[in-house]
Amino acid sequence: MTVQNVESMPGPAPAPAIELVNAARWYGNVVAVNDVSFALGPGVTGLLGPNGAGKTTLLHMLAGFLAPSAGTVHVLGRSPHRDPSVYRQIGLVPEREAVYPFLTGFEYVRFNARLQGMADADAASRRAISLVGLDDAAHRAIGTYSKGMRQRAKVAGALVHDPQVLLLDEPFNGMDPRQRLAMMDLLGQMAEAGRTILFSSHILEEVERIGTEILVMVSGRLAASGDFRAIRALMTDRPHTIKIRSSDDRRLATALMADPAVFAVELKDGSLAVQTAHLSTFRRLIAGASRAAGVRLVEVVSADESLESVFDYLVRR
Amino acid sequence: MNSVAAVRDIAGVTLRQLLGRRRTVLLVLLSVVPILLAAAFRAAGETDIERFTRIVFDGLYVAILLPLVAVLFGTGAFGAEIEDGTIVYLLAKPIPRAAVVIAKALSAAGVAIALTVASAGLSGVIELLPAGSDGQAATFGYITAMAVGSVCYATLFLALSLFTRRALVIGIGYMLVWEGGLSSLLPGIANLSIRQYSLGVADAFIQLHQDPARLTPSTAMTLAVILVVVAMVVASWRLMRFELPGSSD
Repeated sequence: MTVQNVESMPGPAPAPAIELVNAARWYGNVVAVNDVSFALGPGVTGLLGPNGAGKTTLLHMLAGFLAPSAGTVHVLGRSPHRDPSVYRQIGLVPEREAVYPFLTGFEYVRFNARLQGMADADAASRRAISLVGLDDAAHRAIGTYSKGMRQRAKVAGALVHDPQVLLLDEPFNGMDPRQRLAMMDLLGQMAEAGRTILFSSHILEEVERIGTEILVMVSGRLAASGDFRAIRALMTDRPHTIKIRSSDDRRLATALMADPAVFAVELKDGSLAVQTAHLSTFRRLIAGASRAAGVRLVEVVSADESLESVFDYLVRR
Repeated sequence: MNSVAAVRDIAGVTLRQLLGRRRTVLLVLLSVVPILLAAAFRAAGETDIERFTRIVFDGLYVAILLPLVAVLFGTGAFGAEIEDGTIVYLLAKPIPRAAVVIAKALSAAGVAIALTVASAGLSGVIELLPAGSDGQAATFGYITAMAVGSVCYATLFLALSLFTRRALVIGIGYMLVWEGGLSSLLPGIANLSIRQYSLGVADAFIQLHQDPARLTPSTAMTLAVILVVVAMVVASWRLMRFELPGSSD
């Protein structure tokens, strides 16, 4: 898998599966995607960003549903806009939930397979249904599916023709943890088989498991790209704020302040706000400290784990 | 993919979509109203074909039921999918856009034809067929008018639904203001009125009404064909350039 700045790509390299060069898209005065350049080869890449960052607009440009207002977008060496034939090699899982509710899961996947012109659409559909683990519900109407099952049906419909490039917009929405793991394994296997997979998410932890490479979008711009761990490391020295409610906030504050992992403690609005650099260390600390102080914990929540705050931090750096 | 197979598959899904909607049930109920009226005419012993066709066929079928049914199905064929986002599943396929448009138009027009022709046919059987050869001719004439009108309205407003989300409102405005109001005041408008195309086609079987605004059957049919072809070409062109509406992202 490669994520490269286009400017720094070596000369005679194989053509990337996905390539954007200074791509931008605006609606009137609103800039949704601004001067984005990157190239992707086989592998799984996470497209991260808070809501409103431009992820869906970027995926829609890659899927040929939006023309770039400036710059170029190429998938497998071709512009996907106004070229339906490119969809033989692209699979797309859109963000919106709607799937024909009156079709069964199998009928929906077969509909996709048939429109892809597959010779044995039934066999391909059964295979795709099995891959996403929907065998038991394959002959139930999609209208009766849970959100997670609908997502899996959408994924099955997108990969039924074994596309070279798979674009997934928030594919894990609505899936339970077990389904997420299974889906991540599946995407990993497809990547190992040489497919180029780009999926969007606003949840950092989803990317951690699956994509070693990430693209981070903030306010329409590419804020960071590269190895996930390297970018995650950039965030580790960022102070995290934890909000705690307990049976005795004051006593707990005293106990926590003694630990070097805690930067600052503040009592406000009937709860305790604690700043720490190391979340995992703090999670261990809080349990022991509350027990030792004889304080009962009511609530422990991260006050700023939203991607918005993480990305704000990245951008400020 | 074989385009014919694509048309068949998309039309199948579209038909299920259109028939599964609540408004279809309402339209079916509405289409029963003129049948009941025909039965009332029959029960009252009414034998004046000219009067019956003017009130029931011209006044109810051609002026109200036909455009309402065909505009609703025409705008709904793409409109619902654009609204809920399922249009993506059609657009992300390696099939000619014209095949998608043909499939949608066949479905919308097909359902509209089935409903209007069945209703008009039943009304004709109840009141007109017993009236002899004129009654038969009138029945066949209006059945054909329903079919031609259904195709015209459905394709025109199917194409329009790819340009605006207000296609249904425009369609009803067209039906009430343009065809209902202006076309009776300004005879020249008949050339741009699907209602007049339908009535003109019906006249090919029997001419019951002397109306200077009425188009000749050949002119009506020619204009109807031109309208359908232009609407299909424009819809295909538009679908090729169709961009997904802005997302929450």
